[in-house]
Amino acid sequence: MRHVWNILNDIESIICRLLLLGFVCLLFAQIVSRELFSYSISWIEELSVFMFVWFVYFGACTAAKLSAHNRVTFQFKMLSPKTVKIIEAFADCFWLFFNVYFIWLAYDFVFNRMNKFWKSQTLGIEMKYIYMVLPIAFVLMTIRILQVNYDRLIRGADIEDPEKIDLDKIEEEFGGSGDKSLSNVGEDSGDTRR
Amino acid sequence: MENEIVLILFGSFLFLLLIGAPITVALGVSSLISFLYLGENPIKFVQIAFRSVGNFPLMALPAFILAGALMEAAGISKRLINVAESLAGPFTGGMSAAAVMACLFFGAISGSGPATTAAVGMLMIPAMINRGYDRGFASAITASSGSLGIVIPPSIPMVIFGIAALGMEPPAEAVEKFGSFQSVSISKLFIAGFIPAFIIATSLLIMNYILTKRRGYLGSEGPWSIGYVFQEMYKGFWALMAPVVILGGIYSGFFTPTEAAIVAIFYTLIIGIFVYKELNFESLNRSLETTTWLTGRVLMILFTATVFGRLLVENEIPAIIAASMLELTNNIYLIWTMLILFLLFVGMFMETLATILILVPVMLPVAYSVGIDPIHFGVVMVCALGIGFQTPPLGENLFIASGISKISIEEISLRALPFAAINTIAIFIIAFVPGLSLWLPRVFGY
Repeated sequence: MRHVWNILNDIESIICRLLLLGFVCLLFAQIVSRELFSYSISWIEELSVFMFVWFVYFGACTAAKLSAHNRVTFQFKMLSPKTVKIIEAFADCFWLFFNVYFIWLAYDFVFNRMNKFWKSQTLGIEMKYIYMVLPIAFVLMTIRILQVNYDRLIRGADIEDPEKIDLDKIEEEFGGSGDKSLSNVGEDSGDTRR
Repeated sequence: MENEIVLILFGSFLFLLLIGAPITVALGVSSLISFLYLGENPIKFVQIAFRSVGNFPLMALPAFILAGALMEAAGISKRLINVAESLAGPFTGGMSAAAVMACLFFGAISGSGPATTAAVGMLMIPAMINRGYDRGFASAITASSGSLGIVIPPSIPMVIFGIAALGMEPPAEAVEKFGSFQSVSISKLFIAGFIPAFIIATSLLIMNYILTKRRGYLGSEGPWSIGYVFQEMYKGFWALMAPVVILGGIYSGFFTPTEAAIVAIFYTLIIGIFVYKELNFESLNRSLETTTWLTGRVLMILFTATVFGRLLVENEIPAIIAASMLELTNNIYLIWTMLILFLLFVGMFMETLATILILVPVMLPVAYSVGIDPIHFGVVMVCALGIGFQTPPLGENLFIASGISKISIEEISLRALPFAAINTIAIFIIAFVPGLSLWLPRVFGY
């Protein structure tokens, strides 16, 4: 059960990684076939673009889950972290409003306005199924926004900024050459580090 | 009527930014409100959501992000920096000059400022401090030259500029007045950015020489020989080949930027797995994950910024701005000055990629109508926004440098001021002399 939950909690990220690997390999196959066999596979471009659109919108869900969408925050420097959480939660209500409106639009567009004769050019797939990513991804994104705000406000969790570059990790990778590592420098000059 | 819609669009946009809504939400909601106010059917949103993202050249973005992340995991970045470090010889300020060179090398494989600062700073800041350089100075020069990462091709902001500018035709009046403009392509931008990047690097090296001379930071006394440099270059051969493959492939016209990035990904995989043996499943997975949320975040902004930009163009707002600017002055240098100062100001507060996506629909038509070449404008825009990485309050590079050297951000930003100043001068030179950006693409026959 817990296993299932872990997969569900990471579902868009898993889908995205597979899609990314998929279209990178497809494009590489295209280059190889064109350069080595001077033969261009016509359906690759279309299929990889479709995979890419799916990748982007599920990627936007992943970003929402990591609360990685850029905000302008310099004006919050003077406020306490708790106040900032509440203000941002208020701002997220507008996000929810936008998403719910967009889901309704996308649902209407995909199910009521797109007929089955609207097909993609080389693959001949009904475009309806390709556009389906929009309602699905935005529903998922809405769930993630609620999840993040529940974690931050009610469970009081601090969600770490994924953009924060983990310096310790980089130091581990780059260091190891003794005299260069900063911890030595710190000790030499009597500096207190952490 | 027109005034009202401007007020609603910009008013709600700024209000949402101020209460800390994500930038993409601020763009989307303010456009949606304007649509509803105008009584237009917002069903267009759905088609724009699909069409703005679903185009082929855009795939260069995740491909370059993934290539950069993999190169770091595969040990290619590390070896490039080692080569640059070996160049630190018995010159005044040699070590800090090597830090600038390292950022230059690193920028050629990565398109991100903070990543450049982190990777280079982790090695070079301690090395500089060891040789008696002031901590604040060492951090400041690394944070400043980290911005080279986004100017040197392949540059992610240039990919974004190319995409934002792709669908924008020059206004008919501008074509009538100045003749036809060249089309925008990512390859052209990459070639055009080459000389400007070297001008900015040179400006940093000049400021470095002045400051280190005054402080009396002499070169290393230890043994240094050209042989040592060659030894490091030999060790880093496969790493040095990575930028050659990427840039050579694009410049020769052999690959499109997307294809070059795809080839770079597979090149890195082969080198990382079979030659350096540093790439493992876990780091591959992490690179894929990072690419996912970075791309998703930026292209979500592309969607809402496209809607926002359309509203602006439909209401002829860029034309109004251009007209009022031309009323003020006809002098192209004064217009450039206004544009650059505005970009520097915005760059201080907002993330670079988002800024480009928001500003291109407004500023590019303005540039067209005063006769500025779109490629030239793109290069200047990316260079100017690059300074935002080294100035507070946003200054991503400052935070990274401060994390490495444990010096306060205030002090680093103070020490970084001379570098920001000379960078700004370099940008004015690049803006005032169009040939610096436009000569090389012509030579390559674009």
